[in-house]
Amino acid sequence: MDAVRINKTEDTKCSYKHGKLPECAPLAVSYVPVQQKNPPKYASEEALMRGTLFPGLDLPFMNTPNTTNPYAGTPLGELMALNFMVKELSLYLDTHPGDQEVFETLKSVIALAQEGEQKFTKRFGPVTVSGVAYSQSYDWISDPWPWENAERGVR
Amino acid sequence: MFVYQKKLQYPVKIANTNPALAKFIIAQYGGPDGELGASLRYLSQRYSMPYPELKGLLTDIGTEELGHLEMIGAIVYQLTRNLSEEEIRKAGFSEYFVDHTTGVYPAVSGFPWTASYMQVKGDTIADLTEDMSAEQKARATYDNILRLSDDPDVNNAIRFLREREVVHFQRFGEALRLVTERQNQKNVYAVNPSFDR
Repeated sequence: MDAVRINKTEDTKCSYKHGKLPECAPLAVSYVPVQQKNPPKYASEEALMRGTLFPGLDLPFMNTPNTTNPYAGTPLGELMALNFMVKELSLYLDTHPGDQEVFETLKSVIALAQEGEQKFTKRFGPVTVSGVAYSQSYDWISDPWPWENAERGVR
Repeated sequence: MFVYQKKLQYPVKIANTNPALAKFIIAQYGGPDGELGASLRYLSQRYSMPYPELKGLLTDIGTEELGHLEMIGAIVYQLTRNLSEEEIRKAGFSEYFVDHTTGVYPAVSGFPWTASYMQVKGDTIADLTEDMSAEQKARATYDNILRLSDDPDVNNAIRFLREREVVHFQRFGEALRLVTERQNQKNVYAVNPSFDR
């Protein structure tokens, strides 16, 4: 609870759990508060497990969030976590394109994700079909495929 | 253009088969508030969106929903692996089995997916309001799945998918704000910015 008060931003009385609403709003449309700029973020693996990068948007059913992720700490789990950060930051930037701080964060996460994907590809095979550039043979079609309960790079 | 990534967005690793559970989880594959409808709704609505933020958001969320469709497919597939005829009968899975064996088909309770589950109105405010509603309906469906399922492996993936609905609702709400703030503040319905450009 204290975290909510500590994280008050300077330009508003609101915590990161709250967003901005217009003071005089036209009637007869829906209003969702706009998430404040550069909101607090989870670390990548926790973000993936919880399904959001942003503690302010983390609203689990019956207040019961996930406490485990079956691939946490594995090469695939790490790649998933970085790609998830890219996804979350880009959805945020779609509606907050002027937030330069978050844009810089996105660029640094993209660099990590690209590096991670290249390492993963060299060890476990292609993530996209272009990844076969690192392969000795055409292993794009090799099992397991993602829906089969033994993905690559999980130990 | 889409490029396939040979991995799921979030892990689906289910230890035990359970065709009875698969029977209602498949609602989120091709059911009325499922992921197939979600992806086609956003990827189709984007063409008439008037502003860059909206074209980007609908493309990016529509793409993510395809990843969710794949996760639901993976859950159904893993819940129905290596079933015996006896297990199929006992779980009440026979009707589905006769039509589809253990293939993954976008239908729920015998009703195939239909485009009537979604709309493309070509009106910016109407489409974004539908998108917010769609996210809430999907969130409520995942709540109901969590109420009925006692499989921790399934629930782990479902909690992730449910939280994504909350985040998407927030983003669509922000998108609607971007639209209404660009309209005449005395009458935000004076024109449809998707058509009256």
